[in-house]
Amino acid sequence: MLEVNHLKAAYGQVQVLHGIELKVPKGQVVTLIGSNGAGKTTTMRAISGMLKPTGGSILLGGKSIAGLPAHRIARIGLAHSPEGRRVFPTQTVRDNLLLGAFTRLTFGGRPRGDIRGDLDRALDLFPRLRERQFQLAGTLSGGEQQMLAMARALMLNPDVLLLDEPSMGLAPILVEEVFHIIERLKEQGMTMLLVEQFAAAALAVADYGYVLENGRIAVHGPAEQLRNDPKVRAAYLGIAH
Amino acid sequence: MDILLQLLMSGIALGMIYAVIAFGYQSTFATSGTLNFGQGEALMLGAMVGLSFSGDILGGPYLNYWLMVPLVLLFGALQGAVVEFVGVRPAIKTKSEFGWIMSTIALGIIFRNTAENLWGRDDLPFPSPLPTEPIHIFGANVLPMELMVVVGAVLMMVLVELFNRRSIYGKAVVATSSDRDAAGLMGINTGLVITFSYALSSMSAAFAGVLIAPITLTGASMGAVLGLKAFAVAIIGGLTSGLGVIVGGILLGVAETTTGFYISTGYKDVPGLVLLLLVLAIKPSGLFGKTTIKKV
Ligand SMILES: Nc1ncnc2c1ncn2[C@@H]1O[C@H](COP(=O)(O)OP(=O)(O)OP(=O)(O)O)[C@@H](O)[C@H]1O
Ligand SMILES: [Mg+2]
Repeated sequence: MLEVNHLKAAYGQVQVLHGIELKVPKGQVVTLIGSNGAGKTTTMRAISGMLKPTGGSILLGGKSIAGLPAHRIARIGLAHSPEGRRVFPTQTVRDNLLLGAFTRLTFGGRPRGDIRGDLDRALDLFPRLRERQFQLAGTLSGGEQQMLAMARALMLNPDVLLLDEPSMGLAPILVEEVFHIIERLKEQGMTMLLVEQFAAAALAVADYGYVLENGRIAVHGPAEQLRNDPKVRAAYLGIAH
Repeated sequence: MDILLQLLMSGIALGMIYAVIAFGYQSTFATSGTLNFGQGEALMLGAMVGLSFSGDILGGPYLNYWLMVPLVLLFGALQGAVVEFVGVRPAIKTKSEFGWIMSTIALGIIFRNTAENLWGRDDLPFPSPLPTEPIHIFGANVLPMELMVVVGAVLMMVLVELFNRRSIYGKAVVATSSDRDAAGLMGINTGLVITFSYALSSMSAAFAGVLIAPITLTGASMGAVLGLKAFAVAIIGGLTSGLGVIVGGILLGVAETTTGFYISTGYKDVPGLVLLLLVLAIKPSGLFGKTTIKKV
């Protein structure tokens, strides 16, 4: 579904990604793990078009998307719930969700489908948001905003969903809830690329994993195998061998 | 007492004109952090194009005032889009911090020179669509056109606000204003939104032009001072507050008409500038604003 080859990206003169290779097959959850500053967020930005890659190719459902502006990539079917939530603070929860469906509500965009139904399903998935539908997004708690960012990305009805640290800043009980939701989305067949600080939990829900070190893929393999890899365990799962 | 009321009414009408132009400054600032310093010229062009349709120049009038207004709005929108495309887009693309200042000023000068060549340098009368006999309201003499200015200005702002709140495209404009990158992820073409905000900005100015023209005179130089004062209003009211430009506009308008009458017309521009200096010294983000101009 999503195929990334030799992906390079830079901030100004500083090269951050040095040729990333990764694949997210249809219906699978793939996780990208790595220490702070390894380039996980940058990889996601380069895929979604928030940052223009300096090299490499990206295929989304067979279409080449490298270098396209973010809005075109969204229209092709990629949703990105970015690091740091980035909800629209002066607009209501409901408006944020409708904006998530922008490509389906406007000309030349994605097929419309059942927007009301999807809105309802998103609110079922995150009942806290239902209660706060008409509240301004900026007045939500950090955790609620995080849920809104996820729900908003789902409203695109994407072929591939990128989630950058969906549990960031959440209380432990909510972290668990977020992972439950990811599992439910997986059961429904959603294709996802997941970046998580809780690498163990991410590897538990994922089918496949990539370990990123200094802008390069250091190790990759089926999630099961990475979970049992002593080096990965020591470096990223906080478990001594 | 009656005369004071009359000055108040005229001041409010003038203030609403400032508010409409200032509203245009806000619209581009919100989406792109840039301002069209050619707003005054956009106003002038709107008035001149309106005059060409509805005045007795160039063999006209060809259209009555009410049919001319939508055409002027369309013209204003196109003119604003051109300014964005030619002057602002390249600066945004190269992340040039001040390029847009020079280019919008330069385009404004080009527009003024072009207007001088097309329509001459003389001020021309603009036929009023409403009776020019003042009507009596609470003892004050008010021109029907002054009422029309207030109604038109309020109507325009209400319509834009409704568009922003109700339609998905308006919501996209607001989203682009709060977080351009995140808006892009929603599939919103934020470059186009910025072009649209320039179109809206010049359209408001052109509308202000055909509203004020029947009260004043029309000419290639009519925009410069209005554009500058409306900029002061945008700073006084705050670049981010819709209510702020209405209050700021009315404050400035009333200050001018009353100073002009009680002190001297020679000093009528002074109170507004004093107000501007005071606001900049005490509350640089404007009376109602949150963002200061420094963040541009
Ligand atoms: N906007 C930016 N400008 C310049 N450098 C940046 C920018 N964003 C990130 N970097 C640099 O790029 C590198 C990779 O950052 P990135 O945000 O992709 O890491 P990450 O793996 O997501 O880390 P974290 O786990 O902390 O979120 C870091 O060295 C960082 O300092
Ligand atoms: Mg990150």
